[in-house]
Amino acid sequence: MFVWDRKDLNDAQVAAIEHPGSVFLVACPGSGKTRTLTYKIARLLSQLKSDKKRVVAITYTHRAADEIHERIEQLGVDTSQLWIGTIHSFCIEWILKPYGVYHPALKHGFRVINAHDTECMHEELCSAVRDTKLTSFDCAYYFKPSGFVLTCNKTAKHEAIKGVLRAYWRKLRAERQVDFELILFYAYQLIEKHPSISVLLGSIFECVLVDEFQDTREIQYAILASILKGSKGQASAFVVGDPNQAIYGSLGGYAITAADFGTRCGIAFKEMDLSDNYRSSARIVSYFGLYNVFPAKIEPVGTDRKYASVVSFDQETHRDGLEDELVRLIKYNVETLGIAPQEVCIVAPWWVHLASMTRRLVAALPGYSFDGPGMVPFARDVDNFWYKLARIILTEASPQLYVRRMRWAGEVISGLSDVGIDIPGLDRKALLRACNAITIAETDGLVFLRAFFDELCAAFGIDYHACASLQEHHDAFFECSQKRIDRLVKEGSAAIAELAMFRKVFAGRTGITVSTIHGVKGAEYDAVIAYGLLEGMVPHFSDPDQVETAKKLVYVVSSRARKNLHLISERGRSRGWSGDYQPTDVLAGCAFQYDHVPT
Amino acid sequence: MHISRLQLVNYRNFERANVIFNKGVNTIIGENGSGKTNLFRALRLLLDDTLLRSAYRLDEKDFHRGLGDWRGHWVVISLEFDDVSQDEAIQSLFLHGTGNVADGAIGKATYNLIFRPKAAVRRVLADLAVGDTAGLAEARSKITIADYETIFTGKSAADFIEPDTYRQLVGDFDAVIFPQELTNPAIGGVIPGMLSISREVCFTFVQALRDVVADFQNNRTNPLLTLLKGRSGEIDPQSFEPISALVKGLNGAIEGLPDVGTIRTDIRDTITDAAGGTYSPRSISIRSDLSDEADRLFQSLKLFVGESEELYEGAIHELSLGGANLIYLTLKLLEFKYQKQKQSFANFLVIEEPEAHIHTHIQKTLFDRLNYDDTQVIYSTHSTHISEVSNVENISILGRQGGRCEVFQPSAGLDVGQIGNIQRYLDAVRSNLLFAKSVVLVEGDAEEILIPILVKKVFGVSLDELGISLINIRSTGFENVAILFHDDRIRKRCAIITDLDRAFIETVEDMLDDDDEIAAKKKALASQVAGFRREAALKQLCDGNRWLTTHFADHTFEVDFVSSGNAGTVVSVLGDVYKDAATIATSKSELESGDIARFGTRVLTMARNAGKGWFAIILGRMITPETVIPDYILDAIFEVHIPVSIGTWASVLDYRLSVLAASQLHAPADIAAMRAQIGRYRRSEIDFAGIRAEMLQAFPADGINAILASF
Repeated sequence: MFVWDRKDLNDAQVAAIEHPGSVFLVACPGSGKTRTLTYKIARLLSQLKSDKKRVVAITYTHRAADEIHERIEQLGVDTSQLWIGTIHSFCIEWILKPYGVYHPALKHGFRVINAHDTECMHEELCSAVRDTKLTSFDCAYYFKPSGFVLTCNKTAKHEAIKGVLRAYWRKLRAERQVDFELILFYAYQLIEKHPSISVLLGSIFECVLVDEFQDTREIQYAILASILKGSKGQASAFVVGDPNQAIYGSLGGYAITAADFGTRCGIAFKEMDLSDNYRSSARIVSYFGLYNVFPAKIEPVGTDRKYASVVSFDQETHRDGLEDELVRLIKYNVETLGIAPQEVCIVAPWWVHLASMTRRLVAALPGYSFDGPGMVPFARDVDNFWYKLARIILTEASPQLYVRRMRWAGEVISGLSDVGIDIPGLDRKALLRACNAITIAETDGLVFLRAFFDELCAAFGIDYHACASLQEHHDAFFECSQKRIDRLVKEGSAAIAELAMFRKVFAGRTGITVSTIHGVKGAEYDAVIAYGLLEGMVPHFSDPDQVETAKKLVYVVSSRARKNLHLISERGRSRGWSGDYQPTDVLAGCAFQYDHVPT
Repeated sequence: MHISRLQLVNYRNFERANVIFNKGVNTIIGENGSGKTNLFRALRLLLDDTLLRSAYRLDEKDFHRGLGDWRGHWVVISLEFDDVSQDEAIQSLFLHGTGNVADGAIGKATYNLIFRPKAAVRRVLADLAVGDTAGLAEARSKITIADYETIFTGKSAADFIEPDTYRQLVGDFDAVIFPQELTNPAIGGVIPGMLSISREVCFTFVQALRDVVADFQNNRTNPLLTLLKGRSGEIDPQSFEPISALVKGLNGAIEGLPDVGTIRTDIRDTITDAAGGTYSPRSISIRSDLSDEADRLFQSLKLFVGESEELYEGAIHELSLGGANLIYLTLKLLEFKYQKQKQSFANFLVIEEPEAHIHTHIQKTLFDRLNYDDTQVIYSTHSTHISEVSNVENISILGRQGGRCEVFQPSAGLDVGQIGNIQRYLDAVRSNLLFAKSVVLVEGDAEEILIPILVKKVFGVSLDELGISLINIRSTGFENVAILFHDDRIRKRCAIITDLDRAFIETVEDMLDDDDEIAAKKKALASQVAGFRREAALKQLCDGNRWLTTHFADHTFEVDFVSSGNAGTVVSVLGDVYKDAATIATSKSELESGDIARFGTRVLTMARNAGKGWFAIILGRMITPETVIPDYILDAIFEVHIPVSIGTWASVLDYRLSVLAASQLHAPADIAAMRAQIGRYRRSEIDFAGIRAEMLQAFPADGINAILASF
């Protein structure tokens, strides 16, 4: 039986973990949501009575899944009966792969394409449309149980977009491919058509845990609810999230209520909440509390709660002076206040604004390093076999990384056996040893990886050219990475193609993080510097619910900070014929005693 | 849940086999070499955890040899499970991989092993133009076993033994048409390695002539230890406490024995003397190491069994082999019972030839009483006695035809009444009917006694050598047994030999007839009418059944025997039947009269006087190579024994030649010349028509010519 130290968890967390039935847990920022989830899973695993049961946890990102998985292993709990991953992986592993033979689009086999492939296909199809000017951006869509929804708010374009999408789906169907949206849709169709699937999964799963429910879509809720309902009360659910942080409304994500989800699942949820914030100072907590959409009582209880935070809001800086201002704020936090550079984060709504700014900051602050999801020089397609292998190759053998690299090695080996390659004597240790033994004298990242892959394959006698799926993944990995590097180089990051930059991706945070607002979800920093907080960007001009979305975005940005928060709505960004962008309304309209950042 | 069907395609000596299993105890009957071991191996590749690695290492030798060139072909081993339920949580993981959800609630599950060329090779074949035989030959020549992959699938809908299905899934090698779709949903969904189906069920294989005594002595295979291990984990620490205290005390007491102390001191002193103080170990002690842990202590438990009436209980190795086996199987069954409590929803016990383990009577009792739900027993046997033990509905017969093994379900498609009849017949006669390669059914003692002698004397080979079982069904009725031979059931040839009982005397009433004559005529007529009725019924039974034929004696076996030209043979036994010289003389003239009314009546009178069986026995003594076998019997024999091989004809001719040589009526040179011809025929230098002509020319008077002429 898994037990924990009393100081590991607070009473509210313990109550949520020990509650025997299904729990619907609203967790405010910094309340130890991931920790609670981790301990809950560890406890469930240790309590399993049958080796035929599984605990299933749905996370928003692969990174979160990996992190929780590792933490549970570190707690000394056997994870062989745990399945953890994103909803898309869940649908592939538990529904599409085992039951695909019952779906006309999947029964002859299928391959998942990534966002990049989708974008390329959309672009090509859009360029063939004559009367309407379309971009791949217009073609974004998602499925509801009732059908597809276009995210483009220009209804005039809808007919043309539908034409493009139909052609796109036809092409996917012909090529036996599925994109991320179709994964969900087909999984939903299978579950609807064959009630036995829900009955079986419902009795295999001891508990279904859902993280970040506020960004979950209706079709995802429907899939999970069907399974839970199919279990006829055998499986419990543990749903965690924060409605105030729902920032994926434009993609169909919404925070369901406990009552609604409970009715769909046939489960009576115990509603609980975590209101102790361990992350931020009292001043930060009181600030982001102003942007609550749903009332929440948040108590700052962390070690930094008494920190004398600087919370600033700047509507004066012109976009031309933005770089200098950012430099000043970084130096103030790092050099004046002694905050470590990796504890500083720069946030903006759109990636286009970040790319050029990062380049200029790199030039202006030669003593600093920067990283962020946008600084990854290769395609981060976690389902790609070669990406999986690259993770091992680009990390050093070290005691800290041992568990992680062993797991990655396991994924590579099972990837091989999935495509029918079975190498006698190849186990995880042998693979790691082989990887550690290869040295390639190359400084260009992609050239290095290509040579490394070839040498490793030769060492194990793998002919990946003979295996269609490995070859496809190989092509996709290099093609996609090359495109990405070309774009980043064009945007000014000349050094991005170098091996050192490749390695940095897995090296953990070493410098200042640069990220979009959606990219900092779940993370925390001592100092958060946000700019581009302008109406039309925050919220996005296409968002149907402007005020609420804006509040949630500001709430997410502000609640990332432990100590200092600097918000900037710069002047002088042109919005074409309608003049310049103006500060985000909800921000400008907020009454708060902001601090002045000393020069 | 139980296995309801096993299908084998191209696996070892099975080209296509469909084996049906039922809940409970199932029997596989087959002679040696008929494929019992291979059939079990196929089962084990899917269900036996210890064979999982072998499943991934099939090779050329695992392909059916009849394929000729295995390259490009698939091996399929497919299991179907019945009585599954999606409402039992314990089955969910199993059904997640295997359950067929297509038609609402899950009723069946399938689990298949498919050994097939990898996708790249399948692509190459698919890309061949239709009819491109040269291209196919070239593509196939490049295939090696390394190009093959093993996959496990579940939820399959395909009936793999249908040749059409095979062509759709694998391809048509003659017409060079290969499927364009490399993944056909009919084979089901691939079950990933992480979901090991064999771990979901409990499977035990008891090999023939397994050395159970050695198994008992080996810690890993000892079934008693497995049982104890399962239990020791559940021991309440409190109730074990006094035992471990006792063991500790015991250890202390042993260590405290004065002799132990002395030895310890002596060792220390000797070492110090030998190595000197510097190099000697710092300390030495002698400790008693009896474990005080439950599972270690449990290992010291051994089974003692008192076998016979005596009061003595012996260890396993002292038991008779049968006794040890009985205990072994019992413990295995108990293991199932425990496992059932521990979340195993299906137990499979597969026993190879239990007659090697346990006496048939004990077996019968053991299997009769074995009624744990969810435990299915499948055993193979080559003992004819087992047919009596088993329920014919749960019997599968393996038969070998050339290099190919076939599986027959003797009761497939029969109704309850018909099955009951067969069951009762098998129970009563303990016949080897189920083991026969081909069968001739007769219903009289005379046929049963004389036909084997006739064949042996005339052809020089026995019915056994021809693979024919002659079975006397006595008065049970042909239909009840002949029904077994059918496309759906036992696909072996069966010939029925019976009498038509047509009257051979004048049956029209005459005013001059006396009472006896009137009675005889009435009786003859009645028999004739019954004969017609029987003929019509049997013809209907055989109609449309290529495995079944009927062969009629026009009148009665004895009468037809004489009319075939064997009057002399019957005359030669007159002295055994009659003592009175006058009667013998009358009888002789009647038998030699050539008038069926006279010789027919006489031979039947003789048979009646002596008793039909005894008459056949005394007649049997007089059968010679020149005795003529009645045509309808010859027809029956060659109907079930086809095709007659060159070897068989050659040995028949050799035999006839040696009879001719022994008669010393022929020139040795002629005999030698004919022998040489037979040699050429054996070596296929001349054909059947050739050797037939040679024989006719060399020895025109020999009886065999007439038989050869009809082929």
